[in-house]
Amino acid sequence: MIKHLLFTLLFGLFWFPLIAQKNYSTSQEITQRLQKLNSNTSASLTSLTKTEGGQDIWVLKVGVGDLNNKPAIAVVGGAEGFHVLSVELALQFAERLVNQHPEILESTTFYIFPNMSPDAYNQYHSNLKYERRGNATKEDQDRDGSISEDPYEDLNKDGFITQMRIESPMGDYTLHPSDTRVLIKADRSKGEAGSYIVYSEGIDNDKDGKFNEDVEEGIAFNTNFTYKFPVFHPFAGDYPVSQKETRALVDYLFDQWNIFAFVTFSPANNLSEPLKFNEGDAKKRVLTSMLKKDVATNKMISELYTKTISQKAFQQDNQGTDGDFFQWAYFHFGRLSFSTPGWWVPEMKAEKTEDDKNIKEESKEKPSETKQKPIITKESNFMAWADEQNLKDVFIPWTTVSHPDFPNQKVEVGGIKPFVMINPPFTLVDSIAIQHTDFILKLAGMQPKLEFHNIKVEKLSGGLSRITADLFNNSPLPTHSELGEKSRWLRKIRIDITKDKKEVIAGNTINLIDKLDAFETKTMSWIIQGSGNVEIKAGAAHCGIATLNTKL
Amino acid sequence: MNKSLTISIFCVLFCFITFSEVSAQENFFRAIGTPHQPKVEISWNRYNTYDGVTEILQKIVKAYPNLARLESIGKSVEGRDIWSIAISDFKTGNPDKKPAMYIDGNIHSNEIQGTEFSLYTAWYLTEMFDELDFIKELLQDKTFYIVPTINPDARDNFMKEPNTPHSPRSGMLVLDNDGDGQAGEDRFDDLNDDNHITLMIRKSPTGRFIKDPLDDRRLMEVGPEQKGDYEMLGYEGIDRDGDGRVNEDGIGYYDPNRDWGWNWQPDYVQRGAYKYPFSLPETRAVADFVMKHPNIAGAQSYHNYGGMILRGPGAEEDVDTYNKEDVKIYDAIGKKGEELIPGYKYLVVYKDLYSVFGGELDWFYGGRGIYTYTNELMVSYLYYHKNEGRGNQEEELNVDKYLTFGDAFVPWAAYNHPQFGAIEIGGFKKNFSRAHPGFLLEQDAHRNMAFTIYHAYHTPKLSIIDVKEKTLGGGLKEITATMYNERLMPTHSSQDLKYNIERPDYVTLNGANVIVGMVVENEDFNKVKEQVQNPSKISVTNIPGLGTVKVRWIISGGGNYSIKVDSAKGGIVEWKK
Repeated sequence: MIKHLLFTLLFGLFWFPLIAQKNYSTSQEITQRLQKLNSNTSASLTSLTKTEGGQDIWVLKVGVGDLNNKPAIAVVGGAEGFHVLSVELALQFAERLVNQHPEILESTTFYIFPNMSPDAYNQYHSNLKYERRGNATKEDQDRDGSISEDPYEDLNKDGFITQMRIESPMGDYTLHPSDTRVLIKADRSKGEAGSYIVYSEGIDNDKDGKFNEDVEEGIAFNTNFTYKFPVFHPFAGDYPVSQKETRALVDYLFDQWNIFAFVTFSPANNLSEPLKFNEGDAKKRVLTSMLKKDVATNKMISELYTKTISQKAFQQDNQGTDGDFFQWAYFHFGRLSFSTPGWWVPEMKAEKTEDDKNIKEESKEKPSETKQKPIITKESNFMAWADEQNLKDVFIPWTTVSHPDFPNQKVEVGGIKPFVMINPPFTLVDSIAIQHTDFILKLAGMQPKLEFHNIKVEKLSGGLSRITADLFNNSPLPTHSELGEKSRWLRKIRIDITKDKKEVIAGNTINLIDKLDAFETKTMSWIIQGSGNVEIKAGAAHCGIATLNTKL
Repeated sequence: MNKSLTISIFCVLFCFITFSEVSAQENFFRAIGTPHQPKVEISWNRYNTYDGVTEILQKIVKAYPNLARLESIGKSVEGRDIWSIAISDFKTGNPDKKPAMYIDGNIHSNEIQGTEFSLYTAWYLTEMFDELDFIKELLQDKTFYIVPTINPDARDNFMKEPNTPHSPRSGMLVLDNDGDGQAGEDRFDDLNDDNHITLMIRKSPTGRFIKDPLDDRRLMEVGPEQKGDYEMLGYEGIDRDGDGRVNEDGIGYYDPNRDWGWNWQPDYVQRGAYKYPFSLPETRAVADFVMKHPNIAGAQSYHNYGGMILRGPGAEEDVDTYNKEDVKIYDAIGKKGEELIPGYKYLVVYKDLYSVFGGELDWFYGGRGIYTYTNELMVSYLYYHKNEGRGNQEEELNVDKYLTFGDAFVPWAAYNHPQFGAIEIGGFKKNFSRAHPGFLLEQDAHRNMAFTIYHAYHTPKLSIIDVKEKTLGGGLKEITATMYNERLMPTHSSQDLKYNIERPDYVTLNGANVIVGMVVENEDFNKVKEQVQNPSKISVTNIPGLGTVKVRWIISGGGNYSIKVDSAKGGIVEWKK
């Protein structure tokens, strides 16, 4: 009875922080949660480096037994500093994995990198809140010879950097016809006039005509990688993998030979829809399209994702940005790579009203009159959803301010608050985290799995034996992605037979196979002279190792 | 009596000393263009190990403390210092603010002579500073950053351990080259213990080679219907790990010249790439140094082999990076190089060689806007002024016999191989073919140095050639200053301008109240562009080669003002009224 009570108490203590948590964690809270996980025998926490801003880049390695030789999945959060949900999803995955699903560690090892942009992430909890990408290094973003000479200013002193609009016929923007809180681009092709110039909140400190083009931020993690690196662009830097955090991560990853897949929580999405195959781009020396077989694999995993996640895809058109991590993990590191933002604003369909029905009938009679389609932008859809959800704290009403750069014009500050369009209210996070944990565990269940089948030992004359066995990849995933086959950073499948070279009459003591496709078999045989125990091992760290023991 | 004896003895001694001094001076007579009594005596017909390189650099710095300064720019994989020697006249300005020329050698461990050529340059400049007005002015105007070897670990390995002429090429990291999970498990084996990895041949009825009956060093390929005697087995070695292959996994494999941050591509696109740009400590040290020295305007990175003066683009995909204006400057300097080094040809990497991603010269130009060449040193033309091509066996055997008296070739000798049985081992030594033989070293070093001096000479040289003052009335004056760049290279290359790689040049007027500042785009027709912010410090995007830029201020207050030009690659020039 007392044991039971104690157990419940202890178990409850693990859960208490999760229940008590009401908002996205601070960096300190993240560290505490990680340290708590570290106290488990299956988990090991390491700081890869400290950023320029003094923040740790954490990795939690979770596994048991010969964990370096079990296929592994890497889960990455915080690719973008403003995507605070991604950190929470990665961290909650780690917590559920360690506390609720230890059995999967028998076959799979996990690496969790909860937050790759801790410097930028901290802006969410600071006094001045804005969506920040760059780390704490000093960078001349607009390359004009001065560093951070044009930062944001909180003109309306509300603790947020939102937008400002200047009333002007020279502006590009106009009010949304059904929601005046929202600004949309004037449609020049229809001859529409604009009424507002729009900038982010601030003044033109260096009087160069641009606003906030060189803010107090350094390099962004998700723009610092070698695939399609946007050299000299803001937030990218002068050359790729130039930052402490990116170097530390990449150096670490190259030493973990067992990773076969990445799941990154970032704005890009190749899970709702797989990446597309482009034949021309796939043939070029510098590859810019996923290879055919890998697209098929991506498609299969996308189907798993859409079955596991209840939210239907909407406006998921970001399938990767130049220099980002998720594309690097596939195109340059050769592993399967998946990314999802985890959550997005659902589609708010326009209601069919009586007026609509009448207009439809009218237009049948007068085909020359066409009704204007409702204008849907990310902002208008978000505001419609926020209204439906009764969210009170997501919009700053437009308020006039006096602005030194526009002394004789009407300038208003307002707009949708930072963070809210990409990070859901915290109350929704739990179910999102549960579903994504489920998805990752199902992905692990599909990992490449080498097995020996149809083992035959035939006795031949003269004391010779022929050993035949089928090496079978009992998995819907190949041992190597099509791209991974070409990369030197994935090991080949190595088959060793524990017999002396002299005793092996036919066959090699060491065999290397490039890869095995999903459910592919390769038959192997050796002719051995003599007797005794024979052990045959086949595999590689990232696709597991199968063992065969027999006696001659 | 005592006094006169002492004086006599003293006089005799004095005469003896001066006489012997005069005798020592008369031992040497100047050969044109070369120091005949250098403070640092170096033999230029041999190669130096890392310790030898270090010692030479220390000697130069000790002999010329006002012209040479030594610095470690980082450490190699095995912890050796990567030395950079800065050569400039320290008495005429801060060397880190003068237009600078960067030179390095030996990025590929087996391409050793770039180190000697770099050392020769450092030695020559310091020894001739007081002798030649040209060198004196050169070092007053410019700085040379010379990094003789950027691969010190594997340089020593190439020299001290058995290698072919082509190995290790990389640094000393040992990687898994065959994907079997083990690294470096099957390296070369120096079976005949001569510190060279030569070739193995074996008598075979199906062999395609015979030995030349007139010269048993030479292997000849037989015709398609003829029977041969020997088969080629490859480089000296045994199958150490029993996987059926010989020497498949040694030191490396990776290529330090695929580790640079311009258009870098991974290994499956570009063989030899490591993990990401500057993932190797040696290349990172150079990159960090270059980022810290924005005054570097020109660069040379020595390789071997081929007798080439190479410019980028390294990859065909990068053709747009090099535009017409810059190509003109590259052509002018490159063609001069062909003149100075007969046998060497000015070529473009992707077009005349092969496409390379992530190369050093691509990053220097594409990433930093620095006009850079790579010279591939040594070419067979230098032996007999014949264009017999690379690795012409007859020509090489001729050199071995008549010019180096057998020092280049290891004669075929029998060996009992554990796997191949009775074989013969022999072939050219590792320090022949790619490396200059001793007697060719100094001349080629001098000629290549002359090319780098010409290149350095044409980094920008700025002067304020004219300052015009015009009274406007109302206490106002109009000051127009003309800046002139008398050399070929602009202060910002086209690549630099395209991406704003380096900061603008600043022209500042001090000592007066500046009301308006502007750049004069056309003086004849009074076309000007005003700079509204901070008019006393005018931002100039570029001062072109053999071109002028005019800047104008309207000031109030008289007095004595001064004008200062501050250019990252053009240096600092001042003018006082």
